[in-house]
Amino acid sequence: MGQQGSANPTRKAGRKRDRRLPLIDTDVHTQPRSWDDLKPYLPAGMRERGFPIPDTAGTGYANPIGVLRRDAFPPRGGPPGSCYQTLRKQLLDAYDLDYAILTGAEIVGIGTSADYYYAPVMARAYNDWLIETWLGEDPRLFGSLVIAPQNPAAAAREIRRLGGHPRIKQTIMTSASRIPYGNPFYHPVYEAAQECNLPLAIHPGHEGSGISGPPSSAGYPSSYFEKHTNISQSYMAQLVSLVSEGVFDKFPKLKFVCIEGGFGWVPHLMWRFDKNYKALRIQTPWLKRLPSETILDHVRFTSQPIEEPPKTSQLLELFEMMRADRVLMFASDYPHWDFDSPFAAFPKVPKELGERIFWRNAQELYGLDIQAPEGEERRNG
Amino acid sequence: MAKRYRVCTTEELQPGERKIVDADGRSIGVFNVGGSYHALLNLCPHQRGPLCLGQVTGTMLPSPVGEFRYGLEGRIIRCPWHGWEFDLTTGKSVFKPERVKLKVYPVTVEPACSGSQAENEPRVETFPVTVERQWIVLHV
Repeated sequence: MGQQGSANPTRKAGRKRDRRLPLIDTDVHTQPRSWDDLKPYLPAGMRERGFPIPDTAGTGYANPIGVLRRDAFPPRGGPPGSCYQTLRKQLLDAYDLDYAILTGAEIVGIGTSADYYYAPVMARAYNDWLIETWLGEDPRLFGSLVIAPQNPAAAAREIRRLGGHPRIKQTIMTSASRIPYGNPFYHPVYEAAQECNLPLAIHPGHEGSGISGPPSSAGYPSSYFEKHTNISQSYMAQLVSLVSEGVFDKFPKLKFVCIEGGFGWVPHLMWRFDKNYKALRIQTPWLKRLPSETILDHVRFTSQPIEEPPKTSQLLELFEMMRADRVLMFASDYPHWDFDSPFAAFPKVPKELGERIFWRNAQELYGLDIQAPEGEERRNG
Repeated sequence: MAKRYRVCTTEELQPGERKIVDADGRSIGVFNVGGSYHALLNLCPHQRGPLCLGQVTGTMLPSPVGEFRYGLEGRIIRCPWHGWEFDLTTGKSVFKPERVKLKVYPVTVEPACSGSQAENEPRVETFPVTVERQWIVLHV
């Protein structure tokens, strides 16, 4: 008997399940050990300003149990997600990932800063740091370019500056906005993303921080619990805005990724959207197709936090209703507190659907290089 | 029949402390909760997270709307994945005690000169130096 023996039992427990299949994780968070590490990437005259990033704790929505997994603190210090060796051991190697898409963390909140001159400066410094550090560590890691959408011209410049970098696979911004994302105000961002062939992702967590709107359609709730439950509202509103205002008609090659916004609401939204379109399309005559058809072609959803209905059969029905085979991509959210294990979060799903969710949808979206497994045993050899 | 595993001596596991041990390939957390010893499987029933690495804490007791009453300090463990709370002394979850619970194991405290043999004890005859010493023994 070894003291402090197998501290992480999941690895052993999960090994059995489907490890012959490729696996892509579409939401992995990394951060600097200290924001001081990024100061050299800021321009002269601005280094002392550091990284004043608005957050929802300042509004009153601090997570009472912390947003970071307590078992993910690196042994050599620093916060979870700041040490490559720890991330490699706990995520890349533990689950034998083929690829992980890094999605930043607090930095995404710059999109809710009132200072639309300085927010893009922070984005630029962060992106340079990301490329120089994390993206050089491991061929399994790809990055997301952080932008500050409240300054669309600067965001478009940033996309064009780094969009062609071989380790960058998408652009990311906060899901919390002052103006809904379909508004023509933002179209220069979409034009640049389409031009650079980069999917554009939104990530939650800053609803209610900085200049963003209230964190629910009803106004300001009192707890993180309530705010966190309402994140799906933010996603529904952004998606309705993007489709209605013709973003995907104007930018027909643009792909949009809804990260961590849940997905149980997707069937409802598509059905209601289509129903209303049939009667009210005269207000948006640029829409040539049913909204649901546009969503299925242009939008992808990440799986974490997985919906947990009382019966697993209900989750399988949901997958069918939302066309998960076309739109759902596995994500773990490592190292955040509501991490989903690729081995334990899902019920048994039909083989082809599992392939779509766990790797094919992401592989196609991001253009990643994976050989289709030959036979059943590719990874067991 | 249960196998016996020596965890450590009582001096090595003070109130509020834990030891995570490997018993025949099973990771088990042994906790000293205010002087009594409790053992739980280190595997959350939700997504098989390493539950016993979580924070040992108290919790908010059921209360009228708008009131907060803290209690059970030191008796609650919170899983580092997803934050599910469990009572260390019963293994029962706080949110659904009868439906969601952890596997728990008996723990005894025995004098070092006890005649019974533990699984991980070298099978040689030994002579204890101090009779005051006591072992925490896990039964799996």
